[in-house]
This record gives sequence, structure tokens and C-alpha cells, in this order.
Amino acid sequence: MAALLSSAGRLRALCSRLLPFLRPPAAAARPPAPVSKNIMYQVRFLTVAPQEKGSVKEEPISEIQTRRTWQFDWALNKLDTSVRKTGRIPKALLLKVFHEICKTGCPGSNQTLLLLRSCGALLPEVLSPERTELAHMIWDKMKELGAVYDTSHYNALLKVYLQNEHKFSPTEFLARMEETNVQPNRVTYQRLIAAYCNEGDIEGASKILGFMKNKDLPITEAVFSSLVKGHARSGDMKSAENILSVMRMAGVEPGPDTYLSLLNVYAEKGDADSIKKTLEEVEKTEGYLMDRILMQVIFSLAKAGYPQYIEDIKERIRFERELIPDAMNLCLTLITHGFEDISFRILKSLNHLSRDNVDQGSFFLQHCVNRDVPVKKLKQFCNELKEAKMHSAPLPFILRCALEANKSALAIDVMKMMKEEGLPLRPHYSWPLLVRFQKEKNLKGVFEVLKVMHELGVELDTETYTDYVFKNFADSETARAQLKKNDCLFETVGLSVAEIRYEAAHGRLNNVLSLLSSASTPPIDARQFRNSLILGFKSSDDVHLWSKITELLYKDERYCLTPPGPTEAVGYFLYHLIDSMSDSEVQAKEERLRQYFHQLKKMNIVIPTTHYSGICRLLDSSQVPELIKGARLLSLKKSLPTDNIPESAKSDVSALEEKLEKRKAENQPITDVLKQLIHALCEEENMQKALEVKAKYEPDMVVGGYAALINLCCRHDNVEEAMNLKEKVFPKNSPVALDTGKYIALVEVLGKHGRLEDAINILTEMKEKDVPISDRTVASFFRILNAAATRGEVETVNRLHETIVNLGLAETAVLHSPLITVHLEKDDMPAALEALINCYKKYGKILQLHNIYCRLIEKGDADLLQKVSDFISREYGDMMALYDLFFAFLQTGKYKEARKVIETPGLRAHSGRLQWFAKKCISSNQMETLEHLVELTQNLFECDRDEMYYYLLQLCENNGDWGKAEAVWTKIQEENVVPRAKTLTLLADILEKNGQVVPFEVPKFVLKVRHEDTRSSSASNVEERKIRMLCKKNNAKEAYNIFLKMQGKNEFHYRSYGTLIKALLTQNCLEEAIEVKHIAETHIKGFTLNSAASSLLIISQVRRDYLKDAVAVLKEMLDNGLLPTRPAVIALTQTLAEKGDLKNLQALKNMLEDITKSVGVSASLIANAIALAHTKNNDLDAAVEYLEPLLISGAQNPDQAVRNISYLLRKVSEEGLEPALEKFGVMAERLASQFGIYRPVTDLFLQYVSADRVDDARSLIQRCGALVEEKRTLVTFMARSASKPGQAKKIETLLELIPEHLDMETAYRYLMRCYELDGDVASVKAVYEKTKAKNIQLHELSLKSLAAFLKKVGEPVPFTEPPETFKFYVEKWRKRRSEEAS
Amino acid sequence: MAAASAVRAAGRPSRRLFDIFVAEVPWTVSSKELKEYFSQFGSVQRCQLPFDKDTGFHRRYCWIKFSNPQDVQNVFQKDPHILEGAKLTLKQQPHRRHNQRKNQSE
Repeated sequence: MAALLSSAGRLRALCSRLLPFLRPPAAAARPPAPVSKNIMYQVRFLTVAPQEKGSVKEEPISEIQTRRTWQFDWALNKLDTSVRKTGRIPKALLLKVFHEICKTGCPGSNQTLLLLRSCGALLPEVLSPERTELAHMIWDKMKELGAVYDTSHYNALLKVYLQNEHKFSPTEFLARMEETNVQPNRVTYQRLIAAYCNEGDIEGASKILGFMKNKDLPITEAVFSSLVKGHARSGDMKSAENILSVMRMAGVEPGPDTYLSLLNVYAEKGDADSIKKTLEEVEKTEGYLMDRILMQVIFSLAKAGYPQYIEDIKERIRFERELIPDAMNLCLTLITHGFEDISFRILKSLNHLSRDNVDQGSFFLQHCVNRDVPVKKLKQFCNELKEAKMHSAPLPFILRCALEANKSALAIDVMKMMKEEGLPLRPHYSWPLLVRFQKEKNLKGVFEVLKVMHELGVELDTETYTDYVFKNFADSETARAQLKKNDCLFETVGLSVAEIRYEAAHGRLNNVLSLLSSASTPPIDARQFRNSLILGFKSSDDVHLWSKITELLYKDERYCLTPPGPTEAVGYFLYHLIDSMSDSEVQAKEERLRQYFHQLKKMNIVIPTTHYSGICRLLDSSQVPELIKGARLLSLKKSLPTDNIPESAKSDVSALEEKLEKRKAENQPITDVLKQLIHALCEEENMQKALEVKAKYEPDMVVGGYAALINLCCRHDNVEEAMNLKEKVFPKNSPVALDTGKYIALVEVLGKHGRLEDAINILTEMKEKDVPISDRTVASFFRILNAAATRGEVETVNRLHETIVNLGLAETAVLHSPLITVHLEKDDMPAALEALINCYKKYGKILQLHNIYCRLIEKGDADLLQKVSDFISREYGDMMALYDLFFAFLQTGKYKEARKVIETPGLRAHSGRLQWFAKKCISSNQMETLEHLVELTQNLFECDRDEMYYYLLQLCENNGDWGKAEAVWTKIQEENVVPRAKTLTLLADILEKNGQVVPFEVPKFVLKVRHEDTRSSSASNVEERKIRMLCKKNNAKEAYNIFLKMQGKNEFHYRSYGTLIKALLTQNCLEEAIEVKHIAETHIKGFTLNSAASSLLIISQVRRDYLKDAVAVLKEMLDNGLLPTRPAVIALTQTLAEKGDLKNLQALKNMLEDITKSVGVSASLIANAIALAHTKNNDLDAAVEYLEPLLISGAQNPDQAVRNISYLLRKVSEEGLEPALEKFGVMAERLASQFGIYRPVTDLFLQYVSADRVDDARSLIQRCGALVEEKRTLVTFMARSASKPGQAKKIETLLELIPEHLDMETAYRYLMRCYELDGDVASVKAVYEKTKAKNIQLHELSLKSLAAFLKKVGEPVPFTEPPETFKFYVEKWRKRRSEEAS
Repeated sequence: MAAASAVRAAGRPSRRLFDIFVAEVPWTVSSKELKEYFSQFGSVQRCQLPFDKDTGFHRRYCWIKFSNPQDVQNVFQKDPHILEGAKLTLKQQPHRRHNQRKNQSE
């Protein structure tokens, strides 16, 4: 890492936008060719065309269009996954996606782009000309289907040409673009230059360079790389090599592309020395990872006919796991071009990377088969792979490949080899071949296969004949004759069975009869053809034949080989015959069946009584009428009234003053008016006046007025007055408390004025008086701590933090971060780092890491940087440490170092981390940093490129920077990324909002939203964006203020209303949220909140006790087909129950009836709530009468079952409703003793355990011992106890009461977890010792968790920590659990 | 018709149900080899390995039914199951006992 820092050089943004200032390179310095006039006109053409189209496009969203986007996502995902995982696309997959898209009829712009760009290097298994042909086929077909081509498509096609080394005329290509009025851009020109250079045509390349210069387009590294190749191919190596210094002069640093280009031209010339020299130079100076480049050089050497130099290059490559996809693609490409021996050498270099006995080289063998590598060579590869232990069964594998690829000759050869090797050969190996010949109607082929299989000693089975041979012939007789004629009739039991089956299944019972009676038929158990025979019977009406055949089965010994004999066999047959018939069949054939039974009787056939009664039962049940169960309609009953919330009237100061004076004069009581006046003055922020009023009417002041005054003084920084008032009216020892907000205001102002002790006293008082602490309070704590931190007051931060945490006032991670910030503010890095590590040790949280990294990098403090990196590596792994370092280098503008970090071998894309940093850049408007993030992650393994560009566009949108957005679009093309519809829409949005032309077809389904946008003027867009931004940053209040100011001027976007409402609700601003909702409803017809926002609204209403409104909102949601969230439903239900509001509960029950499952609430919840409501209404009998039958039926009907009563019991127990608990207890015991329903009594038992009523629990278990059988309930109980701190006692009690009924491992696992949560080191250790003493095997997950805990508290770990990650064991444990459950 | 036969099927002891579902069956084995393999755990009554008649390859999964339901437990005592070098994935098929019970209560 120190090395990284020491090489921190000057920065040179390679960013394309800086490059227009650069002078063109010498090679291009010839006078530029005149720009074609047509190009100028094109600009205008383009501005007109899409606008005209726009007016046509405003049509409603049709199903086809949404289906299309869905389809696209499917296709994109398929291809994208393939590219990301393997770096290639199988041709079959591409064709499949292509056909799917064709089927939908109207290909979208990005679908076409996706297909086109897949026709180049992504198809290593296909030869270049074929790939180009494929691209052309797709181009034409899509055009035919109505695809509209824009620059991105032409650029993609160009890229395909380049990758396929397709010879074409660049001028014609340009002309073609011009014909269709598509404007070439920078990427187009770059690729045209590359095309000229491929042919060594420097003159042509210069012409294009001229165009670019004329258009002031920047000359990027890509152009220089092409020029290297161009000069070399024109035979001028000197100029080629010279390009590097030319580009440096132009301010463009040669990168990997340039060096690849140079190495490739050396390879083409077979100049091994220069390759070596260049490589050594690059390795020394640049430190790039050359492995991928080297692989391409190998391919160039192979193609140019210099295989002798390959070994040397190969040795330079570090074949690590992450190189596997690239190495595989190199192998495939080599095979495709006929260099399978070289390919095999590369493959063998991967030998050391094998794992878990997984076969290596399958892809290699498969491709060799596909490319028709000779059998001899294949065999040699197989032998070597087997010897090297890389593949366990190469021969069967290539057999499969040959079969799949329909290479019958090869398949037969491979089977012969397998026989030589003593490997088993099976009948079904011949089936793919037979299927193939059958499809081709190639009888010769069929005969050949049969003969070969016979020669190989494989006896073909019945299925082979029935499913794959006979189908080629009219019937089995013809088949037999033909087989005989062609010398492939081999008499076997399998063949005989096949003949019987085949004839029977085709209903030719007379043939069956003759086969069965033929003397040449060998003995066969009737069960072998029973099913076919039944089929035959059912399709025939010839009762006589039925009987004759049945008689044969009964009397001919050949057909009942196994005991217990013919009686059983025929009985069984008859039973199955009837059983296989449907009711109507039985009814239709009633008469024939009757005749059949008669004839059998005449033939003296008897069957056992058991079969006889079975048949009777079947015949009987055929009379059962059809049950039709219709879906009950989800209809909601009559609507509930919705009330509006009254708005509070505002008071006016002067009016109040008058009123006060008047009252005073009249000697009336003035306390109320005085309070109102004080409040009004506070609202006006008039501290001076408020204090005067207070002084004047001191005797009539009430508590509320003082509180408001204290708050006002705090706001105005008047700490003295605030404290005076507080001491006077709310002394510490008085039982009266201020509300939370006022205490916070005091703490804040005290802290600010350095009165630390007073502040701490206030905090202590808050705890003593049990002031409620909300999320908002916690946020305030953070603000206070952070303010002190920015002032650099270490002691204030530490002590306030300590007090807040020690008093248990708050436990949020963010509260700890000022502990670190304060040192950053003081620029004391060692202290900051120490605080970071302390935080992690004490609270298990890593905070401010990014800032620390950045600061250290800025200061160049390599030692501390090393220290923090080591720490993160140790705790979170190398990958996290690398990302942190990467982001810090980016943030501090050290892009070269950032590149080195991100190119660390084995590093993968971590979308969460990338998103974090991208969002950070977006919210702090760091375009340059974000651009570098996007650029540097270009080669990051599994990086979602579209997502990265989407981030860039988001920032462009925030800044209204359409120019940059357009540049992003060019970049997208340059990188060959296929954007998702979402990305294109955003891009189109930005361009349109800024009055620009959208140069591509916009995905249609989003048009409606955009249409709405265009209605509002651009002025409101700025405000609206601001509102959305503020909402995102959780500043809902500010957003609301802007919204109110904007009100009436303009209408807002549908989505913006929702965003604002949700943000307000999240910050508990219910009134404001409802106000916005009203406005939205008046402005947008049919405005509805989405599910998440509505649910939040319900929760807020419940919190404020506006239950009726909450029920109304829920009703409205359901009417609109929205599902409420689980927390919303639970909050509403439980609160209604608390209030004893049976009416609304009943209404709620009806509403939720059909959707409880979808919402995820159990049926028991509502039942418990209703019972609780009865209880609250003092009607215990009603509660029991309601609940008991539900529990009884619930035990029998598994759907929608009401089973547990734990919530009810907990509530009545917590509230000390002892008679109720007793009553429900009696009910539970009754259910257990009379109905054997144990769940309720188990709930009671566990409630006793929870409430620490050990004696009650013990006597209950003596009365109802069977309750311990409810194992799952017990385990769930323990799991729940172990999810929150302070509940270890519950599990201890269980262990004391029913140790023999608990799974010890489970119980102790949860117990340990409880103590871990409590941070109780001594108990954790004690539990661990106990498990050891009792010889209980803890699961690795427990051990992992235990080890983590002990390490965190700085204790030694007395066992070997399980080596894998925590997640690994969680998965393992889950898997085991689900296996146990299944 | 379908509904009627469903009713009938529910009325009788389940015969067609299989005990174990096996996935990731290597292409080289046929139902014969599968039967042989599973016979070490008990008597195999049926083994159904569906083939794709369009390609001639099987679909890589099969169902097994034992004559005696207790034998299923023997199978799950062993892990992993390896057949011709490939690790089989086994899943016990749910028994539709409550189906019958439901029928009785109706």
C-alpha cells in the first residue's frame, strides 16, 4: 500500500471531455478532408423526424408493449448472465432469444441492439464470417419487423464488423447511414478508423480523423490504438511504435488497449523479442494486469503461425480462478480456428484450479466435437485428461456431445472406444440416434443403429422398440418383416414384449391375441404389458376379444410367472382396468362390462374376494356426482364513512392581547388566554415580547406556557433565561416533566454554551423522569453530538455520548460516529483511528471509515492507512478493505491508484457497495468522481454496466446537464452496453426536458408518464426536482414548505406527491401528509397512494389514535386493489382490540378475510384481537364463546386456522387481568383434556414461563403433561426469546421445567444467543462450559457466533473457530432445518 | 371428468404416489440402473424416469416408489448418494394423508 501511495503521480483526467483542447496527433495532421455537406443537413433532418414521430406515439399502454419490456428483461437477463458469468454467449441461446423476440412481432430498439452486439467476439464458438452473417440476418429481420435504427445500432454493427475482421467499405457504410438520416458520432468515427487500420489503410483513417477534428471531437486512446495497428499493417513498424510518444505528446497516456495493439502487431510479425521487451517495460512502469492481454497475444501468435512463441507467453500468465472465463474463451476461440492442440495446452494450465472433483475440460471436449475434431485426436485428449485427473469420464461425455450434436458416426465410434475401455453401454444410448433417424425418415440409419448396438453386445430393451423403432412402421408386423429383411431382427424378450405392448396400445386386440397364442412367444409376466393392454381394452368394444385375452392370461402359464398365481393376476388386472376408467367411461361401457363379466364367468375365471370388493367399491364410487367448487368472489361490503380531520384555528397575537386586557379589566380568569398568547408569541418567534408578557402576568402563568417559553429561549440561544425558567418551574426533584423536545432544546443550547455538567444533568433527568425517546429524539441527540464534534470539543462529545449511551437513552449506530468526527475535525488521525477501532470493539459498528481513509490518503500517511486496511481486512475480509480503499482513492481524485485497486485479481462487483458510493456522488453532486467510478469499473467482474450508467444519468438529471447525458449515451455505445428501458427513458427525459432531440426510439410504455411531465412548465420541474431531492435526504419538512409555496401555481407529477407523502409520514408529520394527499386528490383525478405509503399512513393514524380514519384508508386501499403491509394491519388490529372496538374489528375481519395469507398475518391474529376486545369490554363469556369453537375447528381445518392464543394471553397477563387469564386458562385446559387440542394450553404454559410464574407453569405441566409434545411451538418460543436481549430467563426456566422434552442442542444454542445479546460474558461462558460438560454438540453456527462474540469482548476463544463465513453457516443451518422439516 | 376422477382418487388409498423424487440423474443411467441402486435400501416397486421423446435423452429426474414405505427412511440415512460419479439430489415426496382424512370428515 505504501508503494501505491509513493507512486501517486500527477493526475490527468483521461476524460474525453478534456480532450477537445488537445492538438490532433501528427499522423492525422494532414489537411482535413472537407466535411460532406450532407452531414450538416442531417442535423436538421434529425431534429425534425423524431418530433413528428412523437405526436403519433401518444397512445395508451397496450398489453403487448408491457409484455415486450418484460420479454426484453427476460432476454437481457439471459444474455447478460451468460456474458457476465462466462464472457460469451452460446449460439443456441442467441438464436433462441432472437426467435422469441421475432415472435412478439415488434422488436424494441434495445432488443435489436442487444442481439446485434452479441454477434461479435461474444460468440467464440462460431467462425467470424458466420457471425457477421448472423448479424446481417438479424439486422434485416428486425428491420422487416419494424425496428428503427439509430446511431447506437450502426455503431454496434461496426463493432461486430471489427471483432469479426469483416472486410467492408467504411465510406459505403457512412453513406448508408446518411441515406437513412442517422448521424455518425465520435464512436462511429473511431470504429471507422479502426476499420481502415485493420486493412492498413492509413490514408482512409486520416480522412476520418479529419472529420473528427472538424467536428471538434476528442481523439481518444481507442483511436491511437487503431493507428498503431494501421501503421503496422501498412508495413511501417516505425510509425506504429512512434504512436505511443505521439499520444503522450497529445496528453493521452497509453493504456492497456494501446499496448495490446502494439503487442498484437509484434505477434503478427512473429517478433518475440519486441513482445518480450514491451511486456517487461509495461510491467515495470505501468503495473497493469497483463494476463488478459497476454491471452489475446497468444491468439494473434497462433493465427499468424508462430506457435513456437506461445509457450513463453503462456508462462507469463498467472492462471488464477478469476481468469477461468477468459481462458475458456481463448480455448474455444483457438478450437474454432483449428488450433485445438494449442488450446489443449492452455486447458492443461488450468489443471491446478480444479476443485471438489468437478470435471474440467468438458467445454473443451464439447467444442472439439462440435468443430469435428478427428476421433483420433479426441481420444488422445480424453486419455490425457483422464491421466491428468482433470476429467473422470471423458468418453461418456463426448458420447453425449456427439449424440446431442447429431453426429451419429462419431457417437458410434465413441461407443466402440467405450467398449474397448470396458465401459458399460446401454440401450438408451441409441435413442437420440434413433430419434434423429426417425425424424429424417431414414430407415437405413435405424437399421444401422440396431445392427451396431447388437455388434456392441447391447441387448435393446422393450422401450427402444416401442418408443423409437416401431414408430417408423405401420405396425409391429411390418416392423418385424423389415427388420428381418435388413438383417437386424434379434429375437429377445424385449422385442416380444414390445410387440404385444405396441399392438395393445394401438387397440389391435386381434393382433395381441395372436401374439399371445403364438408358440414362439417367450414367457412374459403379464404385468410387463398390463398398462398397454388396459389401453387396448378401453379403445376396443369387442367384448369377445377381451374375454379371449383374459382367458389366455388366466390359463397360459407363460403369462403368470410369479406366484401367487393366475387368480391373483387376473383379479389385479380387472381391478386396474376398472380403476383406469373414468366414471363416464364406466357408465358408457356398463353394458359391455356386464357381458364381459358374464363371459369370464362362463370361462370359469375367478378372482380373490379382496379384488372383488375393490372392484365393487370402484364401481360404486363412479356414481359420485361431480363436485364443483367455485371460487368465492372477493367482494367487499358497503363502504365505511370517512371523516375529515378538522383544522385547528390559528390565533392572532393582537386579538389575544386585546382579549387578555379585557378579561383582566373585567377581573375574569385569564390563564387560558394568557397561555394562548404566549404560544402565539412563541410561534411568531418574539422572545422579547413573550418574556415581557410573562413578567407582567407571572401569577397567572401555567406550566404549558413556561414550557413554550423555555423552548423559545433555547431557540434564541438565551441559555440563562431558559435554565432559570426550567429550574423555577420544572426543578429536578419535581414530578412534573417537560416534553422530550424541550429537554433536547435545553441540552443543545447548554452544550453549545459549554455548560457540559448542566447538559449531563438534564440528560440524567430525562432518564429519571422516563421521558419518551422517539426516533426523532435520537436524531436530535445525533445533531447535538455532531455539533460538538464539528466544534472539535472532544470532552463534550465523549461525555455527552457516554451519558446518552449509559443511560440507555439511545442505541443507534449513528450516535457513535461523532466520537470519530471530533478527531477528524481536529485532524488528529491516530486518535480518530483509535476511536474507530474502539467503536467497533464496544458497539460492533464501523463508522466514518470512508472519511478516515480519505483523510489519510490526503495526508499521505501510509502507516496509518496500512493499519486501518489491515484492521478492516481482518474483520470484514479483503474485498471490503479493497472497496474502501478504492472509494477513498476515487474521492480524493487519485484515479491511477484507484484503478490499481479495482484491478486487483479476484475482485468482483459488489453492487451494494458500488451503489453506496454512486449514490453518495449523486447526492453530493460529484460528477467527476462518479464518472471515474463508472470508467474504472468497466472491467470489473460481474459489474452491471447499465446500472453504472444509470447512476451517471441520474446525476445528469439532477443538474439538468443534457450535454453530459448525451456524452453518456455515446459512452454506452462505445462500451457496447445495451441499456435497459429504464435507462433509455431517463436519458430521453433529460434530453426532452432540456429541449433536446431524442436521437433514438423511446421505450413506449413510459410515454404516458412523460406526457404528464410535459404538461407542467419547466419552471415547476426545478421545484419538483428539489422536492424529490429533499425527500430523498429525509428533509420532508423543507420539501413540504416548498410544496406549499408552489401550491396553486403548478400541478405536480403523480409520483412526486407519493414521494412527498411517504417522506412526511416517515418523519411522523401526519397532518402535513394528509394535507398533501388532499391536494393531490383535487389535482389528479383518481389519485391513489401506493401500498407502502398508504400503509405508512395507517400506521401514523393508529399512532395518533385516528382509528376510524385508519380503517377508512385500509378500506380504500382494498377497493383500489392494493395490499396493506403486515405491520399496518397488525398495528391497526391490535389497537382496535386494545380499545375494545368490536364493531370496527368485525369490519376489519370481513375486509381481510380473503387476504390474510397474502398480507402475511395469521388467522389467529384477528381472532385473538376480537377475544381481547370482548375482554376489554368486560365480557369474558363472550370472549370464550367466540374463541373456543374457532380453536376446535381450527385444529381440524388446516387452512385459515385459528390455533394459538399467545397474543391474547400475553396481553391479559401484562395488564394484570387475572380473572381473564384464569378464564382462558380453564378454556385451554378444557380443549386439551376434551378435544386433545394442546396448542392453547401450551401457549398458557409459555405465558407463565414468560411472566416468570414458575409455580403456575409447573402445576400446569403436571395437569396437562402432553403439552410438551407441541415441539414446534416450544422451539419457536425459544427462537423468539433469543431475538431480543434480556430474555435468557425464559429459556432457563424451560430448561428447568421440561429438560427432557427439549432438544438440548437447540435449547442451549438459543440460550447462548440470549446471553450474547445481553452481552453477558460470564453467562455465555458458563453456558458453553455446560454444553461441554453435558456433551452437547453445538452447531457450527453457534460456535461461529460464540467465537465472534468472545472476540468482540476481547476474550480468548477456547475452541477452533469454524473457518467459513457466518453466512455460510446460516445457510447450512437453514438447509438442515428445511431438510428436517420436509 | 377431471374433477370426478380426482374425487375417486382421493377416495382410495394412494397408489400412484411416489416416495422419492430424484434430480440430477446422470444421463448415462437408465431406470434399470436406478432401480438397482435403490434396491440396496429396500424393494423398489416403481421407478419412473421420463424421457424426452423428441431428443431421446431423459430429463435428468425420476421418481422412486418402494414396496414398503419404511424403506424410504433407509434411503435418507445415507448422504450423499453418488451414482456413476454424479451426486443425486433427493427429495422425499409429501404423503397426502390429510387428503384422506379430509374426505372422511366431509
